[in-house]
Amino acid sequence: MKRILKLHVNGEDFEILTEIHKTLLEVLREDLGLTGTKRGCDLGTCGACTVLIDGKPHLSCLTLTADVQGKKITTIEGLAQDGQLHPLQKAFAEKGAIQCGFCTPGMILTAKALLDEDPHPSEEKVKKAISGNLCRCTGYVKIVDAILSVTDKSSES
Amino acid sequence: MNKFNVVGKREPMLDALDKATGRARFTDDLSLPGMLYGKILRSPLPHAKILYVDLSGAEKATGVKAAISGKDIPKKKYGIVPMAKDEYALAIDKVRYIGDEVAAVVATSLDAAEEAISKIHVDYEELPAVFDPLEAMKPGAPIIHDEVPNNVSATIRKEFGDVEKAFAQSDFIFEDTFETQAVNHCPLEPQAALAMVDHSGKVTLWSSTQIPFFLRRNLATTLDIPESMVRIIKPKVGGGFGQKIDLYAKDFCAAFFAMKTKRPVKFVYEREEVFTSTRQRHPMHIQLKTGMKKDGTILAQQFKVVADGGAYNSTAPLMITLACFFIMLPYRIENLLFEGFHVYTNKPVGGAMRGHGIPQVRFAVEAQLDTIAEKMGIDPLDLRLKNAFQAGEPHPAKLLVQSCGFSDTLIKAAEEIGWKEKRGKLPFGRGVGLAGASFPSGVSNMSHISSGAVVKIERDGAITLLTGAADIGQGAETVISQIVAEELGVSLKEIRITAADTEITPLDPGTFGSGVTLRAGNAARIAAQVAKEKLFEAVAEKMEVEARDLEAKDHRIFVKANPEKGMSLEEAIKVYQYSDRPMPIIGRGSYQPPAKEPTTLLKEDGNFSPAYSFMTQAAEVEVDTRTGKVKVLKMVTAHDCGRAINPMLVEGQLEGSVVGGMGQALYEEVITEKGQVLNPSFLDYGIPTAMEVPPITSVEVETNDPEGPFGAKESGEGTQLSPAPAIINAIYDAIGVSFNSLPVTPERVLEALQKKDKR
Amino acid sequence: MRLPRFEYIEPRTLKEAANALAADSKGSVLLAGGTDLLVSMKQRVIQPKRVINLKTIPRLAYISNGKEGLRIGALTTLHDLSLSRTIREQYPALTEAAKEVGAYAHQVMGTIGGNLCQGNRCRFYNQSAFWRGVRRLCFKAGGEICHVVRKPKECHSTYCGDLAPVLMALDSRIKILGPHGERALPLKRLFTRDGKRPLSLKKGEVLKEILIPEPSGKTLYLKWRLRGSLEFPVVSLALHIEKGTNGAIEGARIIFSGVGPGPVEALEAEKMMVNGLLDEEMIEKVSDQAVREISPMRTSIHSPAFKRKIAGILLRQALEQMMKS
Ligand SMILES: Cc1cc2nc3c(=O)[nH]c(=O)nc-3n(C[C@H](O)[C@H](O)[C@H](O)COP(=O)(O)OP(=O)(O)OC[C@H]3O[C@@H](n4cnc5c(N)ncnc54)[C@H](O)[C@@H]3O)c2cc1C
Repeated sequence: MKRILKLHVNGEDFEILTEIHKTLLEVLREDLGLTGTKRGCDLGTCGACTVLIDGKPHLSCLTLTADVQGKKITTIEGLAQDGQLHPLQKAFAEKGAIQCGFCTPGMILTAKALLDEDPHPSEEKVKKAISGNLCRCTGYVKIVDAILSVTDKSSES
Repeated sequence: MNKFNVVGKREPMLDALDKATGRARFTDDLSLPGMLYGKILRSPLPHAKILYVDLSGAEKATGVKAAISGKDIPKKKYGIVPMAKDEYALAIDKVRYIGDEVAAVVATSLDAAEEAISKIHVDYEELPAVFDPLEAMKPGAPIIHDEVPNNVSATIRKEFGDVEKAFAQSDFIFEDTFETQAVNHCPLEPQAALAMVDHSGKVTLWSSTQIPFFLRRNLATTLDIPESMVRIIKPKVGGGFGQKIDLYAKDFCAAFFAMKTKRPVKFVYEREEVFTSTRQRHPMHIQLKTGMKKDGTILAQQFKVVADGGAYNSTAPLMITLACFFIMLPYRIENLLFEGFHVYTNKPVGGAMRGHGIPQVRFAVEAQLDTIAEKMGIDPLDLRLKNAFQAGEPHPAKLLVQSCGFSDTLIKAAEEIGWKEKRGKLPFGRGVGLAGASFPSGVSNMSHISSGAVVKIERDGAITLLTGAADIGQGAETVISQIVAEELGVSLKEIRITAADTEITPLDPGTFGSGVTLRAGNAARIAAQVAKEKLFEAVAEKMEVEARDLEAKDHRIFVKANPEKGMSLEEAIKVYQYSDRPMPIIGRGSYQPPAKEPTTLLKEDGNFSPAYSFMTQAAEVEVDTRTGKVKVLKMVTAHDCGRAINPMLVEGQLEGSVVGGMGQALYEEVITEKGQVLNPSFLDYGIPTAMEVPPITSVEVETNDPEGPFGAKESGEGTQLSPAPAIINAIYDAIGVSFNSLPVTPERVLEALQKKDKR
Repeated sequence: MRLPRFEYIEPRTLKEAANALAADSKGSVLLAGGTDLLVSMKQRVIQPKRVINLKTIPRLAYISNGKEGLRIGALTTLHDLSLSRTIREQYPALTEAAKEVGAYAHQVMGTIGGNLCQGNRCRFYNQSAFWRGVRRLCFKAGGEICHVVRKPKECHSTYCGDLAPVLMALDSRIKILGPHGERALPLKRLFTRDGKRPLSLKKGEVLKEILIPEPSGKTLYLKWRLRGSLEFPVVSLALHIEKGTNGAIEGARIIFSGVGPGPVEALEAEKMMVNGLLDEEMIEKVSDQAVREISPMRTSIHSPAFKRKIAGILLRQALEQMMKS
């Protein structure tokens, strides 16, 4: 069954004709060409497909596209504002929190949602928040550091 | 003090921002107009004859463009080790494990391809299957490959020194049996391939591979076309850890269907397929006998190792050989007898994984050393220090160890974990442990392991580096660029790199055996030197000095003894150009690790690797004696990686590797029942989450290796050899139970504690 | 893994949803957060003709304090539960349970209704179509046999939800809306303890609301799993105790997840506690009794014996914690 869906992604409006049984992950990657959102397990267990919907982390592989019409969808491509990288993006790059980079988009978006909710989380809270975003390269150490470094900065300002 | 400008700096990876913004393209992110989507039908039986494959149902389904089974493909076997080729891209005649590839389809959509797969009908004649390697070795066991009637597809028997005599002279002899589990690499990116064919029939394949040039060879073999008709491009790769060394059905099928349909074709694996049908760390059954002198000298060791290879060889002979040779480092083992067997079973296939055959035997050795120490009343640290190998010592297997910081790693790791204050002194349930290891920096005793590089200096000063090295997330491109930048005296951001495209970049063996930095780094350094010398020649002529007196640094070329006297890089290029020398300035470098011929590793010993790295991991744990849960409180990793070209990336390698090792010690096991993987998902297969990670301290032990570029050696792979035994030894210290098999789950801890109470 | 094709319905009211469901109750499913349902659909253990999305219905997500206690709308997300101050202050065990479900995104997406109504789990069932194809179709998936006990026409799948034990310990009631109107019942009666059809919802019925009575006594929730996140409980326990002024126990509830075809209440153990004092002796007796009342099966990679052991340990820990406080 096909339907016309209206989506609001990264500040842009899209109107697409697509199969109703396609997940948001599939529509982002296949219909909108937003391949920054990754498919790691397709069953909601790895977090690589995390996107923000109205600012909150969602597993796009378990989200029906029709279900997010009218909501604000943010993917990794939409995180930088007016050409300015988000501090998390910078921190991840500079602190060595990125190795293969496959978990990175989901990881950064999850971290952003956390910091928007709680700008000064404890290390434990950071770990818990990203615990559904699996990473096999880094051992998470530098990822946690990168996220905490951003909270430090915001406390200074 | 770092006398270098770029080498030794904590530079972010060159592609980090692309990855942080979603711009980085992995194989599955690519698509081409008219692209078809493929799916593979896999065997539901562990062992069976294929009687008939009826593709007609699939062929008739909407959207389907083609379907094939084993009988449609060239009857060409492939494998990573030439002498051990035993696999067809799709099963022909017979399936050998649940998940073996039987047929494949391509369709205009993934939905259609998935639906079509279920319409293929296969008639099998089920054969008796065998799942335990010890059973498989017995006479009368089901034969999995006709060519290997005893199911033992690779063996090694090596004796160094005189083992019988040494045991006779030993004051104590210890004998134990160990078992290790199947571990999946779990790269976050599932395997993918995209193929396209041009009018001449040339195949271009984008693949999540860590070994493009080997893939080119294997793909050409399976397609039965010349290697020159295959081009492999490696986009970004989402982790490999050894699992992306092999050719897989997805590579073959993408290419084969692209040839057949004249349309681009993409295959991407499901996570379940990654678990069941790619590769895993070999489970091993290890019998270990060690002879000790009273003073704590290890006099002799004898091993019988049976590796459960699953249905195919993959790297079998190499894996079992590595296991053998790396028993003899980091300790001095003068007398060794090693018997190793790689055995076929009807199970998922073993392959190279971070440490490649060594973590299993290292676990056995390191766990046994602690029980030996206990029984002999020697401190486990002292026991290790006493037997630690030193640089320059003659080695019984003729390994040439030119730099060795092992003792240093032991001492520093022990200090950092608080060994003196804690070992044997913590309350019941808490303990510390450590374990050592050594790893090669690339393998030299094999053919085809040269790396090449090209460095171009353009008119405007732009520097282009072409390297075949395959960056799979470890940062190879960054590190090699740093080497080139240092050599040319420019900053890192001035290097533009193109890598891992078999048509454009020079030959490279790929990412395996931890040789990339050393091998490809040396090649790139040579290329940069050659380009630089060309430039120096022109500048020297103009400045009327000797070329050898010049130096390149800070974007300038100047006289070493008189740095004022010189010019900017741009000026130098101008000078070069106006002296009627041909542009662009090109330097080429090829590097082959020094090796001894002939190079059949299995038959000849000799120096195995151009350099060896050494490490010690230490752990502090807390065992909840009620629930059996083990919590790692702290990990220390002391690693002699020569000079760290990029300390931040080295740390990242160590941390990731340590956490992987923790997983292996406590959480991870691919569980099979009659050949079926019971836990092919991240819910049931316990890869560590951020919650499991303790503070990790990396202690640098820098040595300067004469063979490595700027003294660099391996890092990150060897690190995975000893976290598991370090944790197991810490558990021993905590509760007095020494575990002989992995992983140590809460269930097993409770059982062991109960048994202990009864005694 | 693609989702199977289906018809998609967005009802405007709960009544509409109930009617749509009743029209073809075998072929239709309700969608809330989708974190359980869509996994099962991808794995083809459920292949509905129609998906009825509850999230488009307004005013089903709320947490409101009323006379009889707290009312929680079925579509309230676990994340909102965990952030609610009222809940944290009055029912901290519920906050705790909500925070332990899956990980961050699962809590953001997952709803309380979906959590209660989530499918039973089994290592032979929650697998891909290919995986299940290696064996004969199991009873729950529409076949004849149960691979856990190797008997026909039985299903021993396990209920693994985190919230049900706590909500039952808090003596919650639920409101259900069907084509023929509303009914309310104690939450524990939602669960049939039949692995094949674990919920007592009738044709066209939708869970609308959860009612938690005024806080009283003390409630604890303990969850055990191998890793510190992501996983369903291997075993979990909710313990509720009400003490009289003299310190004697007036009422107790002991409810486990992960050890039976529904949440399992250890009724005999509960009875043992009434009128007694919480001391070492009682803790020993009660936890020994409780593990006799559960019947874990080999439905996951953890052995039943181990689950039993952990259940006992959890209860002991919880009782000790209660004793100390
Ligand atoms: C990786 C992973 C980890 C998880 N870990 C846990 C865990 O630790 N603990 C845990 O409890 N769960 C866990 N879950 C399961 C799931 O995420 C949660 O149970 C979640 O709360 C389900 O809610 P939902 O809204 O997403 O349900 P849905 O998937 O939308 O629905 C689940 C079921 O309930 C039915 N349903 C939903 N709402 C209603 C209603 N109002 N009336 C009647 N029927 C309804 C649906 O038809 C469906 O059958 C996990 C899932 C994943 C993928």
